Amino acid sequence: MVEKSIKTFYDVVCPFCGTLCDDLEIDVDLKENKVVEVRNGCQIGTKKYYSSNPGAHRYEKPMIKENGTLKPVSWEEAIDKAADILVKAKRPLLYGFSSTECEAQSRGVELAEILGSILDNTASVCHGPSLLAIQNVGAPISTLGEFKNRADLVIFWGSNPVHAHPRHLGRYSEFVRGYFRKDGRNDRYLVVVDPRNTHTAQLADLYIKVNPDEDYELVNAIRAALRGVDIDDEEVSGVSKEDIMNLVDMMKSCKFGVLFFGMGLTHSKAHHLNIDAAISLVRELNDHTKFLLTPMRGHYNVTGANTVFTWNTGYAYSIDFSKGYPRYNPGEFSSVDLLLKNEVDASLIVASDPASNFPAAAVKNMYKHPIISVEPHETPTSAFADVVLPAAIAGIECEGTAYRMDHVPLRLRKVKEPIGETLTDKEILERLIKKVKEKKGE
Amino acid sequence: MSLNNLILLTGRTINQGVALEGGKTTKENVRAAGICMIDKDDFKNLDCLAGTPIKVTTDHGEVMVYSTISEEGPHPGIIFIPMGPWANQVVNPDSQSCGTPTYKGMKASIEVVKDGKVLDALQLMELLRS
Repeated sequence: MVEKSIKTFYDVVCPFCGTLCDDLEIDVDLKENKVVEVRNGCQIGTKKYYSSNPGAHRYEKPMIKENGTLKPVSWEEAIDKAADILVKAKRPLLYGFSSTECEAQSRGVELAEILGSILDNTASVCHGPSLLAIQNVGAPISTLGEFKNRADLVIFWGSNPVHAHPRHLGRYSEFVRGYFRKDGRNDRYLVVVDPRNTHTAQLADLYIKVNPDEDYELVNAIRAALRGVDIDDEEVSGVSKEDIMNLVDMMKSCKFGVLFFGMGLTHSKAHHLNIDAAISLVRELNDHTKFLLTPMRGHYNVTGANTVFTWNTGYAYSIDFSKGYPRYNPGEFSSVDLLLKNEVDASLIVASDPASNFPAAAVKNMYKHPIISVEPHETPTSAFADVVLPAAIAGIECEGTAYRMDHVPLRLRKVKEPIGETLTDKEILERLIKKVKEKKGE
Repeated sequence: MSLNNLILLTGRTINQGVALEGGKTTKENVRAAGICMIDKDDFKNLDCLAGTPIKVTTDHGEVMVYSTISEEGPHPGIIFIPMGPWANQVVNPDSQSCGTPTYKGMKASIEVVKDGKVLDALQLMELLRS
């Protein structure tokens, strides 16, 4: 009899975006330790599973840079070198954490405290402004299941889920049938506000084309109209008064509305003030009907990073431990701002690629100082790192907890063994903590 | 040919998302993120074929990318580069003290450079390291 080596894992949680789809089916060849088939996943999630297989892009051994090239070394040697860099640095930066599981994130907090370093996650360049606004004015949020079952008006503002959260529309917000939305798509009205007629906008019942960088004005015009103020101008932010009045009527008369917002609001000039206004609008809409909102979080566990950092330090991101206790000040302790001032003299990057995602001026300064990269794949950050610590991929090669964009914690599954000599992010950080303590004589 | 007074937006695309999973240093990523999406009518004024390299210039830098015609138009006066190393050469690093750089809404101009060379991610990084 031929021994069967393919095992199917059901209800696997996808570790790609904040939607955290929990219905993937993964076929794994146990003999070869390879993912051979992925069902139910979106294009990106599927690729993530396939690219966990061994290949030229995956690191399998720890490496240290010698004479400009990365050379394989033992774990002991690599951890020693990494700890050395961190202990000698005056202002080290610990950054990333959003694409790994919560247990590893909490080890990151521990290491930052021991080192007295900066601790930051990718919210810093993503939904940081949303967190600032939520701290200012609160946030009327809910779990995605409520939206699925109840929402009859769905607004995506500055967010393009067809590209960024490919299964969000199908699972929670648009096409799916809900308890009170039995007819799925036909029971919901979809509005998209965006400067571009995005693929999401092309699906919408109403597309509102707003001028770039003028969302703040539009949100406040809607708020004014909602209070019964007559708008002076015929047009605000490129949107006609008539369209604004229509939208206001629609918002007031819906049974259950939801506003999903994305980088269109956080990355434009008004940053957190956009979100501040949007949250205030949603709050005011509750005088007329039920209305809630949810930020469309990108990395699958960036919500977890914010949550874990908060229950450990009191703050969600941009944390400075240099005085021995956590201080929080985005704009001062945020990674990009620190790098622009060339304050950081060593970086430990966990499960992230700031070289690809930070503005060039910040990356330039990051490269001037030693970099330690805890990373499964070759990236522009790890390719030029001084130490590469190869990681197993959380949610594929190790278990852990991740928080969905609506703060629902889900258990990530392990479907295959870690390849080569890779260790989990948690194990790597634990080894680093031990070595750093040794070197500091603690 | 060139176009001035454009507004540059950046953001996620699904191809860029697929390319970054294990392919950040490959040609796949260049094809996904080393591109600039231009409004259909604006593109006619450039008088070139889709795929011709163009130089995108903002107050914050310049970068060579492949031109493409936007599927998410019409958006006259707006150009779009997917998030990634190419976009980040020309975005505004200033966070106005909130921590998050201004990745959208830069004033930009584009210029057709028929024999221009679009660098891959690692080559772009080499430039930053030198």
